[in-house]
Amino acid sequence: MSQVAGLPLRFRFLPLLHEAHTRDGWLSREAVETIARQVRIPLAEAWEAATSFPEFRFAAGGGDGGGCGGLSCVVNGAPPSESVHARCRFRCFEAPVSGGEDDFPEEMIRLAGRLLAPDITGWDGLRAASSMGSARALDMIDRAGIRGRGGAYFPAARKWRAALGQGRPLALVINAEEGEPGVFKDRAVLCRRPRRFVEGLAIAVSVLRPAVTVIFINGEAAPARRSVETVIAGAGEVFPGGVEVVPGGGGYVLGEETTLLNALEGRKPAPRLRPPYPVESGLFGMPTVVNNVETIANLSILFREGEAPFLDPDPAAAGGSKLFSVSGRVARPGLYEMPLGTPLRVLLAAAGEKDGAAFAAVLAGGPSGGFLPASEFHRRLVPGLLHPTGAVTGSGGMVVLDTTSDLRAAVLETARFNARESCGKCTPCREGLPRVVESLAEGHTEGLDDLLEVVGAASLCGLGQMAPGPIRSARHFWPELFS
Amino acid sequence: MSLILNGDEVEAGGSVLDAVLAAGIELPHLCKDDNLPAIGACRTCLVEADGRIVAACSFPASMAKRVDTETKTARRIRRGVLELTLAMQAERGDEGGPLAGETASTASREGAAVDRFAVRTGRAVDATSPFFSFHEAACILCGRCVVACQDLQHISAIGLAGRGRDTRVTPGAADTFRESICTSCGSCVAACPTSALRPRGGAE
Repeated sequence: MSQVAGLPLRFRFLPLLHEAHTRDGWLSREAVETIARQVRIPLAEAWEAATSFPEFRFAAGGGDGGGCGGLSCVVNGAPPSESVHARCRFRCFEAPVSGGEDDFPEEMIRLAGRLLAPDITGWDGLRAASSMGSARALDMIDRAGIRGRGGAYFPAARKWRAALGQGRPLALVINAEEGEPGVFKDRAVLCRRPRRFVEGLAIAVSVLRPAVTVIFINGEAAPARRSVETVIAGAGEVFPGGVEVVPGGGGYVLGEETTLLNALEGRKPAPRLRPPYPVESGLFGMPTVVNNVETIANLSILFREGEAPFLDPDPAAAGGSKLFSVSGRVARPGLYEMPLGTPLRVLLAAAGEKDGAAFAAVLAGGPSGGFLPASEFHRRLVPGLLHPTGAVTGSGGMVVLDTTSDLRAAVLETARFNARESCGKCTPCREGLPRVVESLAEGHTEGLDDLLEVVGAASLCGLGQMAPGPIRSARHFWPELFS
Repeated sequence: MSLILNGDEVEAGGSVLDAVLAAGIELPHLCKDDNLPAIGACRTCLVEADGRIVAACSFPASMAKRVDTETKTARRIRRGVLELTLAMQAERGDEGGPLAGETASTASREGAAVDRFAVRTGRAVDATSPFFSFHEAACILCGRCVVACQDLQHISAIGLAGRGRDTRVTPGAADTFRESICTSCGSCVAACPTSALRPRGGAE
């Protein structure tokens, strides 16, 4: 076992757990304890970390049944997720699905813009950025106004400057966990356009000069991992400090960046308190930049083609394109690259109605977003809230329901997902969400609004804070649904 | 650095909770030990800071201009969290360590209803240690015992295994405290704000 230069041994904890789990199909106590000793993590701490990843199993045999419980599968006839182990298999474009992950199919790239155009050759963008120098390159990212495509749309240049401003060796962490049901864009980029992403990463490395560069990737996304590892291995001189690719053990809450950092440090994947923010003190206390795969891939476009593609005359749009994952009840599910600010109805028209059934609702932004009825499809997919009751553009996941869909079941499914994905650290999320589910399932909605207020306002991280969105929005637009 | 706290200007250097307690204002803080860093798990110290609901234990006073502990919203949400907390406990006795009963007294001070939510809790009892026992029916998963064991004592015999609703305090991967690496130092019992961890010899 090799130690990553400059990082504590415990950085190896999660990769070793993943390796043992892949080899044996489960993790025995002895396996966890052996790894804990190897990386010098105290036993109880190792056990609490290991048992907090949803994809790790702690008993031999059984398997997970192969089914998928994601919302896109449920609205396409799969049984509700209570009956299957998997929360989502992230192949929502071919729902209902079963079995593990495959290479992302090229034909599911339904509409390609600059990002999804045939993959690049050479490293022209990297050469352009390197010859510019860090300061000028940062100014260029700033001028282009590139914002985080993971869903928060935070200006990338501001985040980078804040980390660089700490004046200490920093860490660059790419979040490729992609744990949101209905989203498969990062997997698509990593499988089908890996050079685009790797060039973006090389540009980030040349500007930030991080002491350590990490790609945290979903533990089940083996095809995406192999694809990106192959390109990185062939790009040797481009990454003088190397790149650590770390597979995880799943969890929607890993979208919360401090949770991701805890996972990388071999700790229980639960959110940290802020401040300090990751740019001040992130991975093992280093100033840390956490960026999404799509954000990084956009850098390759910027340094090849200049700012023009990102300069939208409309200030509401963040500039540039967005990858929209469209699934559920549509004729042509898959990935659509469209300008940020595109009206939802344009995206839906491209995906088309399935079997002639009219669209009835869209879950915009997944379990942390909200439902929109057809009367709201004129809304433009801009960063931030699309409707005050919850719908967001988020990471671009759009799950479509039509007149054949059971909306009530969809809302319930989304609530169940959030309850299951709660890490369990804070009381309102851990205790409140299961009671929200019961209230919805039993149709006893008295006091539900008060409970949603508590969960939303009191929870520690975004998972609990945004969990009320799908329910609030559904109750707003379809008041009779749970009465 | 000064702060307007419930209308009065006060000096504040640390967290909002430090400022609140220094001013002699009562505010629940079930997972915050006086001598350990904030955990931020119990969410009972919520206050309104410049119009936002924040956890006082982890919010730096320097980031707030005006803090109110008793706004209608802050009180309502604190009460809601405490009601969810009470529903984790089938046992609310005050026998046990020095802080046992803190949850019940805090909840009653804040006017939380004990019966808003049906109680649901695990019932495991671990009485294998000669010095203390663990009663899941009183545990609120605040994490104080874990911090005391892992960060203060550097023993790491206790952890919060599992996730979501399945989270529970366990003696690491061991089945019982007797089989674990616990040294019976007593720090977890001293940190517990309920009667979940009780010294033996007293009421059990």
